[in-house]
Amino acid sequence: MHHPAAIQLDSLTKRYGDTVALDDVTLDIAPGERTVLLGLSGSGKSTLLRHLNGLEQPDSGSVSVLGAPVATARGRELRQLRSRVGFIFQQFELVGPRTALENVLTGALSELRGPRLGLLAYPKALRVRAAELLAEVGLEERAFQRADTLSGGQQQRVAIARALMQQPEILLADEPVASLDPESSQQIMALIRELAERRGLAVVCSLHQVELALGWGSRVVGLRAGKVVLDAPAHSLDESAVMAIYQRAGDDSVAPPARQLDLNGAAA
Amino acid sequence: MTATITPARVGARPGEKLPLPSRNALTAAALLLALLGVALWSLSGVGLSWQQVTRGIEYAGSFLARAVPFVWPTLPEILWLSALTLAIVFCGTAMAAILSIPVAYLAARNTTPTRWGGALGRFLGVATRAAPDAIMAMIFAMVIGQGALAGVLALGIHSVGMISKLTADAIEQVPEGPRLALRAAGATKSQEFWGAVWPQVLPAFIAIVLHRADINLRVSVILGFVGVAGLGHQLSIAMQTLNYREALPFAIIIFVLCVAFEIVSALIRRFLLGAPVARRTLAHRLVRALPGGAGAGAGSGAGEAAGAVGAAAEGNSFGRAAFAGRVPWTADRLKSSALLWGTATLLGASIALAATQESSFANFWKNLGIAASRLWPPSLPPAKWEATAIALTETVQIAFAATLLALAGSLILGVFSARNVAPSPAVRGASRFLLVVIRGLPELLLALFFIILTGLGPGAAVLALAIGGVGLLGKLFADSIEEVDRGPERALHAVGATRTQVFTAATFPQATPALVGHTLYLLDTNIRSATVLGIVGGGGIGYMLSSAARINQHELLALLLCVLVIVFAVEGLASWIRRLIA
Repeated sequence: MHHPAAIQLDSLTKRYGDTVALDDVTLDIAPGERTVLLGLSGSGKSTLLRHLNGLEQPDSGSVSVLGAPVATARGRELRQLRSRVGFIFQQFELVGPRTALENVLTGALSELRGPRLGLLAYPKALRVRAAELLAEVGLEERAFQRADTLSGGQQQRVAIARALMQQPEILLADEPVASLDPESSQQIMALIRELAERRGLAVVCSLHQVELALGWGSRVVGLRAGKVVLDAPAHSLDESAVMAIYQRAGDDSVAPPARQLDLNGAAA
Repeated sequence: MTATITPARVGARPGEKLPLPSRNALTAAALLLALLGVALWSLSGVGLSWQQVTRGIEYAGSFLARAVPFVWPTLPEILWLSALTLAIVFCGTAMAAILSIPVAYLAARNTTPTRWGGALGRFLGVATRAAPDAIMAMIFAMVIGQGALAGVLALGIHSVGMISKLTADAIEQVPEGPRLALRAAGATKSQEFWGAVWPQVLPAFIAIVLHRADINLRVSVILGFVGVAGLGHQLSIAMQTLNYREALPFAIIIFVLCVAFEIVSALIRRFLLGAPVARRTLAHRLVRALPGGAGAGAGSGAGEAAGAVGAAAEGNSFGRAAFAGRVPWTADRLKSSALLWGTATLLGASIALAATQESSFANFWKNLGIAASRLWPPSLPPAKWEATAIALTETVQIAFAATLLALAGSLILGVFSARNVAPSPAVRGASRFLLVVIRGLPELLLALFFIILTGLGPGAAVLALAIGGVGLLGKLFADSIEEVDRGPERALHAVGATRTQVFTAATFPQATPALVGHTLYLLDTNIRSATVLGIVGGGGIGYMLSSAARINQHELLALLLCVLVIVFAVEGLASWIRRLIA
């Protein structure tokens, strides 16, 4: 952790019309750190993540990723920066009519010049690398199957392999299990953790399931109405402390705490 | 007191006025009524009468007497001419398909790089669609000579309008997520488009292009009348020399070729695009053109289940292939290779065939200069203004009258063809079959047939366009009626409504906006078709255009501009109404 911060946010503010999506967010995330973003929907989790790879531009404040300013990057510079940051979406966002392998290969597009259509348009070395990544997420047998014929959990595995194909230094995940059943959710979260640890990646993952969050992250950041309302090491927190994030001003009724799951076991 | 001001109570009170419908609805209703009025006036104005038709049937007898025995061309001649016609159609359609991709990219709201690009893309689409293909072929023939190339260029440019419009619609329907994912991975704009957007558009694009090839095959027959080589040209020679014993066999060959092509293209669509696509736009309707192709919505189809089973069985060997960087011959790869190499071979052969026809680029620039100086500036002597106005009115009347007749026929056949309202499966099958046969008939053959029956003039064009219109409109109606939400129908069945009551109260009102949209689309195409049919003797401005092309090209350009003004006006009106009822 002597290395400079992987991500540095300084007074980041973003508005959409009258609503303040992010309100003066200042945050440092170290390399290899596993951060969970918690908060109600609309609290700014997705907006925050999308600022980290330049999919959104801040109104004020600065975003620095891997030592480079994101907000001012343009064109080739921005694409280079994005290629060093993997992104996993809630809805997987695979290209349905294409094979799983080709979807993984699109993660390497930034290494290539010009558009690619079809597996044969990619160099063989990249095809091998993509196949190895599919094996790592447990889907080597599905390499040549159309992505839209896979189950939700399988599609998210392909999407993870696509993000790793970028050989990223940071992994961002926006509600990666919100569209999945509980069993697949646990498997996917464990997989992300395992793959990130193996590569020493910093991970920022937004979640809305508190019980998944506590066992998984090394740090928990809570957002409410675009403001950071909690920032603490995960081991120091219990559920009632976390549930306070979801409390509105003047609202004392807190949902009963959910059972905490042991994800370390699931990962093994 | 508060209860009396709720709308329900006001509506329930006898003698109380119903609340007024919205302004958009009123405007749309007024416009549609006005259009209906114009259509009725047109129908009475084109001089179509029962006597004429019955007299025509007598003529048909004497015509047939002059047409038998048929003089068939030799088999090699038939094959050569058919191959040449198909070659021109393939080359023209392929050219249009390639040109349409950048135009659609510009025109689609979600891919256009700038606002100006979007306007440019839409303008190119409307402009290429507006200029009638037969007129374009005439002008090209002046520059590069008669033969194949003038036809290829005319089809290649005119078809851009339809293909790019429908492709842009399909691009706008594509989910944004995959594109965002590629952007997040650092992909460039072009990598985003070809990596995420295009693979999702491709099935619709193939269906659109095949459908356009269908249309172009029919159009190529008309191009024969302005000098483009192929079956249509032979037909026009035989017709002009009143040699009906040779003309009729050509007409039969063309009809058989058109029906065969329709069947083959439907089979190709089913083979390539087995899984149905989300079906909202016209493009997506084309994807499921075959009755068998109509299945469940997007997501999970039968093909997917089969794919999963196959993958499990072959999984291990595929895994090994992947590690070696090899790409095994899966069913999908076989299909896309067959498509790619099949298209390439066909196109190569078509280019070779079309190149046998003498069109020369040797004097291209010189001829272009001559043609331009002959065309420019457009001028129309005042003496011809009145005749032009009359001819333009006649063309508009033909289009309106034909659309009205087609609407009546399509309502009947469309209702009988729709699964949810057809009285019985047998009726449905019969009317679906009838629609396929009608779609197979080229409008030109119909027009010639009716010219023989009713004599030269607008009546023949009206009947030809009306029947041709039923083929297209009837199918679109049937699809739209089948696509209505089933909930209200079930609800009415549950309260004991009769079939007719369910149709009028639940099915029809839901389908109305789509039906209006399709009818306006047909009106739009009919204006252009009415112009083109005039060239072969269908009355209206077309006849003036074709004589101007031979005698005074300054007039040709002036008349063409008049036609374009009308086409744009009708197109503008149609899109206004569509927006009002959307």
